[in-house]
Amino acid sequence: MATIQETETTVLGACPHDCPDTCSMLVKVKDGRVTGVQGNPDHPFTHGRLCAKTNHYEERVYHPERLLYPMRRSGPKGSGQFTRIGWQEALDTIAARWKSIIAESGAQAILPYSYLGHEGLLNGLTVGDPFFNKLGATVSERTFCDSGACTAYIMTVGPTPGMDPESLAHSKFILLWACNMLSTNAHLWPFVAEAQRNGAKVVVIDPFRTRSAQLADQHIRIRPGTDTALALALMHVIIRDGLVDRSYVADYTVGFDELVEHVKPNTPAWAEAHTGVPAAVIETLAKEYAQSQPSAIRIGVGIERSAGGGQLVRALSCLPALVGAWRKPGGGILQLPLWAFPMNWPGLQRADLLPPGTRVLNQWELGRALTGALELDPPIRSLFVYNSNPLIVAPDQARMRTGLAREDLFTVVSEHFVTDTARYADILLPAATQVEQDDLMFSWGHLYLTLNRKAIEPEGESVSNAELFRRLARVMGFDDPFFFRSDEQMMRESMDWANPALAGITLESLAGKGYARLNLPPADQFAPHANGGFPTPSGKVELKSSIAAGGNFVLPVFRQGSNEFQDGSPAALLPTWIPPREAPKSNPALAQRFPLSMLSPKSHSFLNSEYANLARQVEREGPQHVLVNPADAASRRITEGMPVMVENARGAFRAVARITEDIMPGVVLAPLGYWAYRSAGEATPAALNPTAYADLGRAPTFSDNLVELRAAP
Amino acid sequence: MTHVVTSNCTGCRFTECVTVCPVECFHGDAERLYIDPGLCIDCGACIPLCPVKAIYDLVDVPAAQREWIAINAERAAPLPVMRAKQAALPDAEAQRVALGFA
Repeated sequence: MATIQETETTVLGACPHDCPDTCSMLVKVKDGRVTGVQGNPDHPFTHGRLCAKTNHYEERVYHPERLLYPMRRSGPKGSGQFTRIGWQEALDTIAARWKSIIAESGAQAILPYSYLGHEGLLNGLTVGDPFFNKLGATVSERTFCDSGACTAYIMTVGPTPGMDPESLAHSKFILLWACNMLSTNAHLWPFVAEAQRNGAKVVVIDPFRTRSAQLADQHIRIRPGTDTALALALMHVIIRDGLVDRSYVADYTVGFDELVEHVKPNTPAWAEAHTGVPAAVIETLAKEYAQSQPSAIRIGVGIERSAGGGQLVRALSCLPALVGAWRKPGGGILQLPLWAFPMNWPGLQRADLLPPGTRVLNQWELGRALTGALELDPPIRSLFVYNSNPLIVAPDQARMRTGLAREDLFTVVSEHFVTDTARYADILLPAATQVEQDDLMFSWGHLYLTLNRKAIEPEGESVSNAELFRRLARVMGFDDPFFFRSDEQMMRESMDWANPALAGITLESLAGKGYARLNLPPADQFAPHANGGFPTPSGKVELKSSIAAGGNFVLPVFRQGSNEFQDGSPAALLPTWIPPREAPKSNPALAQRFPLSMLSPKSHSFLNSEYANLARQVEREGPQHVLVNPADAASRRITEGMPVMVENARGAFRAVARITEDIMPGVVLAPLGYWAYRSAGEATPAALNPTAYADLGRAPTFSDNLVELRAAP
Repeated sequence: MTHVVTSNCTGCRFTECVTVCPVECFHGDAERLYIDPGLCIDCGACIPLCPVKAIYDLVDVPAAQREWIAINAERAAPLPVMRAKQAALPDAEAQRVALGFA
């Protein structure tokens, strides 16, 4: 007898991941189960495509190892032994421990740790901020990505979307600087390809021959951490050769005369000595960049990751004004178009609830904070981790492991899987995946707002982060109704709907097709700074930055809204060369022991450590590997496929050598994301990464990192 | 890392797939298409467009079709890039029916 089959339905979703592309995702559901996902063909940016990470999102949702129930640790810390408990027991345990810690040591003994494991306005960056601010816990300063670039960009041009990413299709010259677009921003590539077909030259600046470099017209290899020298030399040539758009500079910039003097020593020959880029290549690049208008610079997230990363972004943010690139659609610099979204940051973070004087702890300090090296008073007695896997993505891995193993540290982790970090939890909480929850998604890579609709009931007892913090607020005795708002109310209060950028867009209208372009001119007309109008104190591009005079800072959005205890260290007023800390030229003594610069970018199929436990993605990427230039391999007698140890004074990890000309001599590349307990050893590339800050925004310096290779024992 | 065009394409060559490829990694001859594994970024957009379900993620290629992994890798690059939709081959519709995708 025939059974009645429920027909397949399609639910409009949105990719939740920390990626600029924020795809509109069609979720296919049958009999209450997700059968597949697909990029929305109607969305002008998603264009029917997802990616190597998310094409089979259902495999994540229904993975047999998914964490579906609250758990209590039943073995030694880090052993990964847990016993299932109920939500009430989990919440009661957390509340009891926290209440006693607060009574004995104060709330600052509790530290939240999260970043962009989810990017939604409900479940993402800010979801826990009101709760922890009200609690008075130590503020977590989250500078994983773009904090340094944001500080630098805002010091120069202010918080402007600058360019519509889609306007790259109208560019005549595109500089992809430290941006492996085909792996980390793939949905923007078709706009670059369109420009290329229309005659634009595409130049990639990267130590690695990325997939994007393979498709570009020119690939310029540069020594890691030396890009500021190149950028300053471009300015030098543009000024020296009279390639400056004089009227744009006169009308819409401040500090030009000082910049002229400032970059006089930064000749192409000077830059060649630092960067390894031939002076003649620099001369040509400067001329072509200046004379092919509109010209665009797209910077990648990793660009800030060396000692002078902030000054690099300062310099790059100055360049478009010098050549008048802002005059036309397709000209300028593309950093974060998220500034176009009228977010209600104060309402999302509720820094007003934070007790004055609450201390701030940067996330690179976690290892030291947990091991007493910072002599914190009170010490950190409880750690609450969500939307992050610090043991794999943050530096100081060995010390962090020691800290997480502390018997007296009460650790709670909310996750999809038992990650390396989660193995150290005392209490594990199951988090819902994107198809099991509602959310509203902004983007840091295009100008569309996207609604994610819940497609299925949560598997097991998993809950959204929004619900997690409602439950925590309840057991901690909060009575402010703010903490018990519905998802819909949270969405309504997450943005300033009266802002002209949202004119004509409502939650109801979003429900119809799933997404809406902000109310801004179309890409072929989007040139917001054709006539200046920069959101800086002067209203102009500040080649000499007035904001920099106030010293270094991290945007409050990256520190739960807090503006206390800012870094405050001096910042150069004009874009200035800061050499890398760890490079053969700037630190020859260190380079004697560790002569190779290591990069640890995202893998093509993983998003940081997400998906690095899933069979499909691991099969594609193979085991943890390190790319080595043939010359560096030969001098160490390392051959293709050989197991090697990559090491420096901070740590060592095991990898398989892959020998390729794609990586320049003197540089090795080890993709980040592999899970330690699933790899050959205890350590991964993060074990070698330094904790030192870049010059601005407390960006990490993961690409300012000397290492050595040897055959594994 | 790549997607693979398997046997069902031979004699059909509908070419819907090439219209969504963001990296122009499809190459073709008179009979069929091939994917250049050095360029494919695994976006997966081509899979649902193929009327005869010829395209698979490398990980999902059925055992009987795995020879096509090497064939795509060998033949793609020397052949011309196919970036615009072309007319399907004359017997394509008949073959689609025969393959059970009518």
